[in-house]
Amino acid sequence: MGELRRSFHEELEEIKVGIVQMAALVTEAVPRATESLLESNLQLAQQLIDADDELDDLAVYLEEHCHQVLALQAPMASDLRALSSALKLNAELERSGDLAVNIAKATRRIYGTRYDAALRGLLVQMSEEACRLVRLSIDAYVDGNAGLASALSDIDDRLDSLNSECVQAVFKAHQAGTIDLQAAVQLCLISRYYERIGDHAVNIGERVVYMVTGWLPEYTGSARLRIRRSQQLDNSTADERG
Amino acid sequence: MIASFLLVAAGVGVCVIGAVAWREHRRGVADRDMQRRREEEHRRQAIELVESEARLQLSVDAITQGVVLATADGVEIYRNRYAQAFAEARHGEALVEACIGDLLAQAAHGETVEREVELFGPPRRCYFVSAKPLRIDDKNYGAVAQIDDVTESQRLDAMRRDFVSNISHELRTPMGALCLLAETLAGESDPLVVSRLATRVQAEAIRLSDTMNDLLELSQIESDEMIERTVVSIQDVVRDALLRVSQAAANRQIQIEISLPELVLEVQGDQRQLTSAVFNLLDNAVKYSEVQRKVWVTVRTVRAAWASKAPRQEPLEAVVEIEVRDEGCGIAPDHAQRIFERFYRVDNSRTDAVAGVGLGLAIVRHVATNHNGEVEVASGLGQGSTFTLRLAGTLRLAGCSGVDSSGVDSSGVDISGAGTRAGPGAGMADDFVGAAV
Repeated sequence: MGELRRSFHEELEEIKVGIVQMAALVTEAVPRATESLLESNLQLAQQLIDADDELDDLAVYLEEHCHQVLALQAPMASDLRALSSALKLNAELERSGDLAVNIAKATRRIYGTRYDAALRGLLVQMSEEACRLVRLSIDAYVDGNAGLASALSDIDDRLDSLNSECVQAVFKAHQAGTIDLQAAVQLCLISRYYERIGDHAVNIGERVVYMVTGWLPEYTGSARLRIRRSQQLDNSTADERG
Repeated sequence: MIASFLLVAAGVGVCVIGAVAWREHRRGVADRDMQRRREEEHRRQAIELVESEARLQLSVDAITQGVVLATADGVEIYRNRYAQAFAEARHGEALVEACIGDLLAQAAHGETVEREVELFGPPRRCYFVSAKPLRIDDKNYGAVAQIDDVTESQRLDAMRRDFVSNISHELRTPMGALCLLAETLAGESDPLVVSRLATRVQAEAIRLSDTMNDLLELSQIESDEMIERTVVSIQDVVRDALLRVSQAAANRQIQIEISLPELVLEVQGDQRQLTSAVFNLLDNAVKYSEVQRKVWVTVRTVRAAWASKAPRQEPLEAVVEIEVRDEGCGIAPDHAQRIFERFYRVDNSRTDAVAGVGLGLAIVRHVATNHNGEVEVASGLGQGSTFTLRLAGTLRLAGCSGVDSSGVDSSGVDISGAGTRAGPGAGMADDFVGAAV
């Protein structure tokens, strides 16, 4: 038993290292995407699009590994939560990587467009903020820090407001006639991609809270629904009696 | 007779027995001695082994390269302190760790492999990881991986490349223009065209000589590490720099607001160099601002406080900060680290509209270094830039005994008394704002 558990925990540790590595690939991909965007560097954009295969490969491997461990070791309680969280994190990180690729692809679509320094500054800030959120979420995951993990949704507010600022700046630039409609739409989408990366980091945070405490924010909503339903039931039986 | 014979025999017997016993005893002692010596030898060897291993380990820890050892099966058995950081890495560096494991596994199979891992950070880093198999004849002892941080050497390489390409470009462009203009001039007889061409020739020649002057100034500042130190008034330095930049500011309708403290600020240094540094900061601020914007110059002291009983006439040591702020296009964070390099210009294609060689900030940095000071930049794209030149100096209250003539402008405007008010109202600023707007 002891021997088995030890190797089980080794496998859990391996999965954790894999998740950290995936997150590192994401936090490296985002600034690369930003650079390809700002410098109109199509070569870098292509490299990034190709490099996503590595992330996909690692995601597939990690998922299979998780399933294998689940099937063979039948873990319980916190071990089970750690594994199911790793599965979820894996998906979130894979999606974040795809968003970075989307930015690289948008770079190709708006190649040659010139836009003003203020807008570029906002994009740089969004990129940094998105990366910071992913880093913090992984810090929370590795340390099992539920406090930090649950703070992520508040930290994400800054990225959200940067997103709306960025969209406003795009509108303004479009109205001033400096960028055409197509570029404006792409730039708004790019801003949205950064914002989504932040949202995925918040999701990771929620999963970390679940891993540590067994509680999910969705529980509140589902509990509310149950109360509402039972109240409705009470009311209808009261009506019948009435 | 018999009795005496027996006695002798007994005596001899006793002697023999005694001798034998003694010999046995001696042999026992010798054996024990030998054993003790052997044990001591072992202990000494063991201690030596431990010591030499510790010595080896400490020296491998002391080198600023990562070293990781693995067995023939690719299982890691040792890493030095530098490499330890990667094992605990969570973000970008986790990719270096993955690369180490990858390469070690390959090297354990007998391949020599190497890979460069570039991390965008921030900060940007570049690592070179290589792994070699450890084999003597056919015996496989495993593999060793080595990790080098090549960030700095790559940066220097890029700098050298840029330097050569930039300087040849900067010299060739006006040269080419001069050749063409001279050629056209030779076959031209219309006096109007001739005079227009001559003006262009002059402009190109000035551009060339400006580049030369900047280069000469930089090389002079770079070679003058042992500067002649005299007492220099910061107010004088700022005033001279403002004078030099006033024409450029007036051309672009840029208003320069200055704010100087009421104190006499002095530093030990070379007035010409300091003026050149402040001028370059101002010149950049003016060049990279859009027309009709503002530029702020603030001089302040930090880390200075009078002890309550200290006589206020005494000069006090302080750090003097000269801050130049603009509302210009700003600098992206990844360029901000490089702008103090010679000839570094943020993407030539976009800034071609702004004339310059990219030597100004290199000059500023060298002046700061020569004066044991520092220069730093806070900026973001589209957010303007703030350059701060920090120097060690002394300060004292204006009007106290010992204020030399440098505290008072030769034109009669008391700069040191101008107060911390910003804006056109502040003594000196009047002249320049008047000239600029």
